[in-house]
Amino acid sequence: MSSASAVDLAIRCYPAWWRERYGEEVRTISGDLTADGRSPAIVTLSLLQGAVRARSRAQGMPKLYDLWSARTRVSIAAATLPWMLVAPFLLMAMGTQSLHSTKGPVYFSGSSFTMTHLQIAGAPPTPAPPLTPAGSVVPFASLAVGVLFLVTLAVLACGWTGLTGAIRRSATPHRRRVWLLAWAPGFALLADVALVVALIQVRPAGYHMTGGGPMVPIGGHPFAAHVLGTVLGVVAIGGWLASIVCVAVAAKRADIAPSDLRFGKSVSIATTTLFALMLGAYTTWGIGLYVQARQATGGNFTTVAYSHQDLWIPMVLLVTAAVVLSGFSSRAARRSWVVLSTDIL
Amino acid sequence: MVLTSLSGGPKHGYAVIKDIETMSGVTFGPGTLYGVLARLEEEGLVESLPSEDHRRPYRLTGAGAAVLRERLEANVKVADIGFRRLGALGA
Repeated sequence: MSSASAVDLAIRCYPAWWRERYGEEVRTISGDLTADGRSPAIVTLSLLQGAVRARSRAQGMPKLYDLWSARTRVSIAAATLPWMLVAPFLLMAMGTQSLHSTKGPVYFSGSSFTMTHLQIAGAPPTPAPPLTPAGSVVPFASLAVGVLFLVTLAVLACGWTGLTGAIRRSATPHRRRVWLLAWAPGFALLADVALVVALIQVRPAGYHMTGGGPMVPIGGHPFAAHVLGTVLGVVAIGGWLASIVCVAVAAKRADIAPSDLRFGKSVSIATTTLFALMLGAYTTWGIGLYVQARQATGGNFTTVAYSHQDLWIPMVLLVTAAVVLSGFSSRAARRSWVVLSTDIL
Repeated sequence: MVLTSLSGGPKHGYAVIKDIETMSGVTFGPGTLYGVLARLEEEGLVESLPSEDHRRPYRLTGAGAAVLRERLEANVKVADIGFRRLGALGA
């Protein structure tokens, strides 16, 4: 790639208003600097850093409603979409819980997070050793992650209904198309429900164990159930990802009213806050698991294990990056809203 | 530094970069310079002048000159205190 095309590419990373105002000037001066002996790579790097700053701070952006409204909408989308991308995988990365002791597998009755009435299986069952102090924290942290997931989902559902309603009331060009795009999560959910219902209809009622041989399905259509199960997995994950893209595109294109933008800004701040709390709970969960395993080695304790606890470190890094992005974006949404409401409206 | 450079008269971006380099030894990239210029323009401290080619000159406004004077006086005060303390140490 030539130095001129690298500079052009870097300039294309700036927002449109900035390119219109400074683009040609910066291209000329970058040419002067490289002709003067400055490394093209350093010039390009400086422009890329400047592009990030111009996008994140919007300093010098003309005080026009369309520009600041678009910035607010994009910031709201950028604050909420990282949660949508990462949070379901965080739940999957926790896996399922199991309890172990040196005397055998442990079961509990009572609620799943207080883990009372620990017993070792057998006839008759015998009381199991207690959880370690850190082990007692783990189920609460796990519960907190689940509750925060559901609360954030409810907040985002409110935000989504606000977005679809705002698009319906707006004078957005191609309003119907944008509204349909915003409805993508609803369509994806409907497709998932339809596939689950179909799967229930065709799956075998049970399996008959033959002596040492393969399991024989009882009734239903095993092949159709297998195909539908695969399709359901693809549609669930694909629909979720497609929904994220469609909602982002709809949010960028929709020309929505200031009151709806204010609501969206509040949703983005709430999402970031809940997301940060979720990261805190997930981090506590992982530390609790690590500490209780060390505590358990010295005494007779029941330890808590999760099927995917080895994914904790990569997930903490991924979620931290997503929370930081969400935090910067919700701050940008709040600041853009302040400019809109105080300087423009 | 950009305000100090423009206090010597209107300059386009390349001239500002070279002037700062000569004045302080600091090397500005175009991304950094135009980030600063955009902020200073927004704050009304500098303004651009018409130009026939793509090398648009910028000049200090009255408000920009006042802000520069205020900052330089603060810097001079800090420098004076620093020199006095060094003198007291006998360094």
